[in-house]
Amino acid sequence: MKLTGAQIIMECLLEQRVDTVFGYPGGAVLNIYDALYEYSDRINHICTAHEQAAAHAADGYARSSGKTGVCIATSGPGATNLVTGIATAYMDSIPMVAITGNVNLNLLGLDSFQEVDITGVTMPITKHNFIVKKIEYLADTIRQAFRIAQEGRKGPVLIDVPKDITGQVYEFTPAGKAPDAAQQEAMHLPVSKKPAEVKAAKIERALELIERSERPFVYTGGGLLAAEASQELKTLAETIDAPVACSLMCQGGFDQADDRYMGMLGMHGTKTSAQALKHCDLFLAVGTRFSDRVICNADLFARHCPIIQIDIDPAEFNKNIDVTLKLSGDAKQILSLLNGKLKPREHREWMAQIREWKREYPLRQEAIDPNGVTPQMLFDALNDLTKGEAIIATEVGQHQMWAAQFYQFRHPRQFISSGGLGTMGFGLGAAMGAQVANPDKKVINIAGDGSFHMNCSELSTLAKYQIPVVELVVDNSVLGMVRQWQKLFYDNRFSQTTQDKKTDYVKLAQAFGVKAFEISTKEELLPVLKEALSLQEPVLAVCHIDRDFNVLPMVPAGASAEEPILNMD
Amino acid sequence: MMNHTEEKDYILSVLAQNHAGVLLRIAGLFSRRCYNIKSIVAAQTEDENRSRILIVVQGDDRIVRQVDKQLSKLIEIEQVTVLNENKAVVREHLLIKLERSDATSDQLVAIANVFHANILNVSVTDMIVELTGTPSRLDSFVECCKPYHIIKILRTGTMAMEL
Repeated sequence: MKLTGAQIIMECLLEQRVDTVFGYPGGAVLNIYDALYEYSDRINHICTAHEQAAAHAADGYARSSGKTGVCIATSGPGATNLVTGIATAYMDSIPMVAITGNVNLNLLGLDSFQEVDITGVTMPITKHNFIVKKIEYLADTIRQAFRIAQEGRKGPVLIDVPKDITGQVYEFTPAGKAPDAAQQEAMHLPVSKKPAEVKAAKIERALELIERSERPFVYTGGGLLAAEASQELKTLAETIDAPVACSLMCQGGFDQADDRYMGMLGMHGTKTSAQALKHCDLFLAVGTRFSDRVICNADLFARHCPIIQIDIDPAEFNKNIDVTLKLSGDAKQILSLLNGKLKPREHREWMAQIREWKREYPLRQEAIDPNGVTPQMLFDALNDLTKGEAIIATEVGQHQMWAAQFYQFRHPRQFISSGGLGTMGFGLGAAMGAQVANPDKKVINIAGDGSFHMNCSELSTLAKYQIPVVELVVDNSVLGMVRQWQKLFYDNRFSQTTQDKKTDYVKLAQAFGVKAFEISTKEELLPVLKEALSLQEPVLAVCHIDRDFNVLPMVPAGASAEEPILNMD
Repeated sequence: MMNHTEEKDYILSVLAQNHAGVLLRIAGLFSRRCYNIKSIVAAQTEDENRSRILIVVQGDDRIVRQVDKQLSKLIEIEQVTVLNENKAVVREHLLIKLERSDATSDQLVAIANVFHANILNVSVTDMIVELTGTPSRLDSFVECCKPYHIIKILRTGTMAMEL
């Protein structure tokens, strides 16, 4: 079958069961968009207001579904606008394929109009990237890109396709007749890097350590979600009678309504997690890279007990902290192996102690204004109205931490947040992607007023496609998280963090064609939120709160993760 | 606490697909992860689809294990070996241009002879000498030349082959 390069791209996307792509047209992708026109009955294209949101939408689509997200942008500025989105996905190991156009082959390297070396630019923020300089390599390069994005530790892959390649006609061979190793090599395609199987002796050693432990601590990160290992985690925690803490990236990986759940660990973790860390005699970490936001002071993290680390990426062992036992491989498989061999244990005293700490140190926010809404009230209301079943996306800052602390996540892929890169402006695009991937779920993006202003033009995209995301702006008129640091470490010198923008959120949303609601008092909270959530169309709700709420507990920079501060007054 | 052993030079032998950009990916990895490259030598191998890259890394034991694992993650890299210097032949090639005069000529020739270095070119004012050997031998030779004026030094970086 003779097809153009652009049609080959469409066929390859269909082979990968891609039904939706996010992007923005432009000169170098004219052929691709012409093919999208032709394939519009099979491939749904969402055109965002800015390419960055297309990348975040592909990311949110992937985080909420487990499938590979796809975004498309033109050469030059189109491609560079994807960069923040690709870096966000890279830091959180999210499978994504970004397709960019580039100038014609004979114009490459000549500083041509809208030319940028996007493979050079994205080298440090992709798992791998390609520039396709021969039409005969195109189909297999796309197939390889999808494989790489999902294989082992997941991540984004970029394919740069010069415009004339998308216009050339070539014989398309459908997948199934995949090239053998020799052909792959002839086409300069990379070979598979499947993770190695875990060694039996290591499993035995892990069983020994776990069986010897009287006060085990199970801690999980985003790798648990990537491995779809929530059920295995639950079985493990029950079998060895252990409490569980999750990183920001693993919210919902363990049912937070479960009595064993302690909350997050690290900079804004719970006091219970911190106490348990201090007193545990075994730290079992699953799918986590021991980020500096979790371990805080690396020299003081879990020095008194053995650490077992399970991870698919061997480069994560002994990177930020030294661990006792490294189990390299797929978390689901390793947890299943362990579960199959572990004898049920009971740690009554330890679990009683954990429950005691949970009672003693609940997450609690005092009201500042007696009529005002506290963030905790807001998330309690959201939780009640959605029965803990909504997909919650966030931007970055205080509201993000409050969402993680106060909403009760019960399932994997329910919390969509930029953990590693901490990208303000991520949430609205990501929520859009999550909603498209999950048309039957309620998707709510929690935004701070700072982050909202970075990407609010995407309200136009919600309106255009009637994507029923609820954009919930938690407005305190300040860049709260930075302000909180200024309170702690800069003597209340609020340099550039007092925003006090004059934006009329309701009018702005209406101008974009989005219904809007405003919440200023606690009396308004439940009825207004209920109405906003009941609509099956894009909605903005802005909830005004006091500017002096802090995210607590907090481990100040340099301190031990065992010693969070509980108030800042 | 991280256990740091003392810093030294490690030789890594890397087998990669012979693609445009592989060297850039390696150099980029070293730069962004703050690893120190002392030298890097890359060339096509006996198989034209593969290139072999010899990298000398300065660091402790933990760093070199990180380098090994991070390099192994690059999609186009097929194998990374940290070479044991006792079980490998290690060689580097040096070209050095030295200022000469009638007064210093005999001494320079004598030094070259001691090191079995080859004198490739002699002019009225300078001479070019080449030497192949272990990096430390090359260092010693350069030390001996220092009292005379060194105009230019070219070194290839370390190559090594397992026994």
